[in-house]
Amino acid sequence: MPRERHIMGLFRDEDSVVSAINELKQSRYKFIRVNTPFPSHKIMDALKLKKSMVGWFTLCGGILGFIGGFGLAVYASTQWNLIVGGKPVIAWVPFVIVGFEATILCSVFGNVIGLLTQARLPSYRWLRYYDPRCSGEYFGVLAACEIEQEDGLKEFFQKQGADVKVFE
Amino acid sequence: MSQLTYAKIDQTILNTLTPPKKYYWGIIFLLFLGVMIGAACWTHQIFTGIGVGGQNNPVGWGTYLINFVFWVGIAHSGTLISAILHLFRAGWRNPIARAAETMTVFAVCIAGLFPFIHLGRVWQVYYMLPVPNQRLLWPNFLSPLMFDVIAISTYLTVSSLFWYTGLLPDIAAIRDRSTCNRYKIFKILALGWTGAHEQWRHYARGYLFFAALATPLVISVHSVVSWDFALGIIPGWHTTIFAPYFVAGAIHSGLAMVLTLMIPLRKLFKYEDIITIEVLQNVAKTIVFTGLIVGLAYGTEFFIAWYSRNIVEVEQFRWRAFGDYRWGFYFMVLCNTMAPLLFLFKKVRTTIAALFIISLVINFGMWWERFVIIVGGVAHGFPPHAWGLYAPSLIEYGIMLGAFCLFFFMFVLFVKHMPSISMTEMKETLAEGAGHAA
Repeated sequence: MPRERHIMGLFRDEDSVVSAINELKQSRYKFIRVNTPFPSHKIMDALKLKKSMVGWFTLCGGILGFIGGFGLAVYASTQWNLIVGGKPVIAWVPFVIVGFEATILCSVFGNVIGLLTQARLPSYRWLRYYDPRCSGEYFGVLAACEIEQEDGLKEFFQKQGADVKVFE
Repeated sequence: MSQLTYAKIDQTILNTLTPPKKYYWGIIFLLFLGVMIGAACWTHQIFTGIGVGGQNNPVGWGTYLINFVFWVGIAHSGTLISAILHLFRAGWRNPIARAAETMTVFAVCIAGLFPFIHLGRVWQVYYMLPVPNQRLLWPNFLSPLMFDVIAISTYLTVSSLFWYTGLLPDIAAIRDRSTCNRYKIFKILALGWTGAHEQWRHYARGYLFFAALATPLVISVHSVVSWDFALGIIPGWHTTIFAPYFVAGAIHSGLAMVLTLMIPLRKLFKYEDIITIEVLQNVAKTIVFTGLIVGLAYGTEFFIAWYSRNIVEVEQFRWRAFGDYRWGFYFMVLCNTMAPLLFLFKKVRTTIAALFIISLVINFGMWWERFVIIVGGVAHGFPPHAWGLYAPSLIEYGIMLGAFCLFFFMFVLFVKHMPSISMTEMKETLAEGAGHAA
């Protein structure tokens, strides 16, 4: 199996990135990822990304949270089976408040777990193919090719008006 | 905004993280001294007993609870700015969102301290936690005080996670411009963030959910705080308008604190191009709105008392306006509802000094609002023979000083070690602006 060379084209504006991505996808080179300093809607649209699954984690967290919070309040009350303040032992209205807060808390936990697992964080392996300028004012398009195609890919990026960085 | 570029945003914000000068450490030292005074007062209270505070019958809830409500209130506008205005796509909130979120996290930490201080026997705090125990005791979830434990701890956790998530891309940006140990620390803190499109895809979705969840949370938390009072039958407390009244008051005070913090920050860190006068004007306009809501609530309370024909309520509100704490009442009306009306004049809301002074006036007034509500209720309750007055003791003043110093201590440390404006959001705003222009 031939070894691959990773090359990044560093662009200064989003429109050039969009055009580079479109051309790269039709070329013989392998598009890997785009590193951007902020979430660019133009680039996201060009990549035709699917909707993130993070919301499902959030939803699951919320459902579990409500059941857990409400269940905790019910369990705690039934352990001390006394009427307090004239309210029933299992009082729906106050316990919904506990359930609500637990819903939000666990939804957020689900959201964080979803974000970390879906975005694959923490992971430091991609720092190898990363240019620090991508958190500043540059947009980095990372592509891979066979070693003998290296010059062609470099030329491709240069034609698009990008600075080129080769990862050995 | 028009002169800004991505590079200039980075440069302006990262320049604030250069090693500080001596006067910075001087300020830190003074604030630390204030924190130590507060810590010493609390330690004295722990060893001597809660009686060293001025709370006694009939006023059992004094400055500890006033400060608790005050700081929770301060926290709320941070969430308003970072979450609610994010959902409304209000671009003007971007330059101040980070500082406001930071304010939220630190203010909730300070607020969370006061119930501990108020407990007296702080080591018995575990009684409030719903954990299996040999005492076979469980907290009573019918009590609004238990709602509070759940709500405040949820709020602290959620706002901290929201804040850190927002910081993540900026931490990566600092990592990329650091060397040696600083690089190693920020590399770990950034969790390997590279700004890859896959990361942004999930991040943007996750951030949106954060905002969507923080919005009902912020409303519920201060409603729960208000129910600490409203669910009691004390005259002046037992009213259904307390939840929206407290939420509006919280946002009112928090927005004022945002101005109090952002105006010196803007000057010291040369943020004039980023935190423009339009941004400050928008905060001022929102303050006018919240001030009117708060004013309406003040009036409604009097109306309810009069319309109810309940002699205890009527007496409570007569006494509020003409009794021993009338000055507190006048402060709150003047500072919270009258002073913000000055922002209706463009000349006032575009003058930095006026914005700053009025923000301080509102902070002062909002503290007095909590004093009037909390102390006023219990000081002048049902039986006239149980009426009494309250004045904070020196220990309480010391703890209050410590709390204020601790808040500013943490905030001043933060702004010099982490980006106090979100570089990511500023760049996004700039890109969207360019898009619209095109």
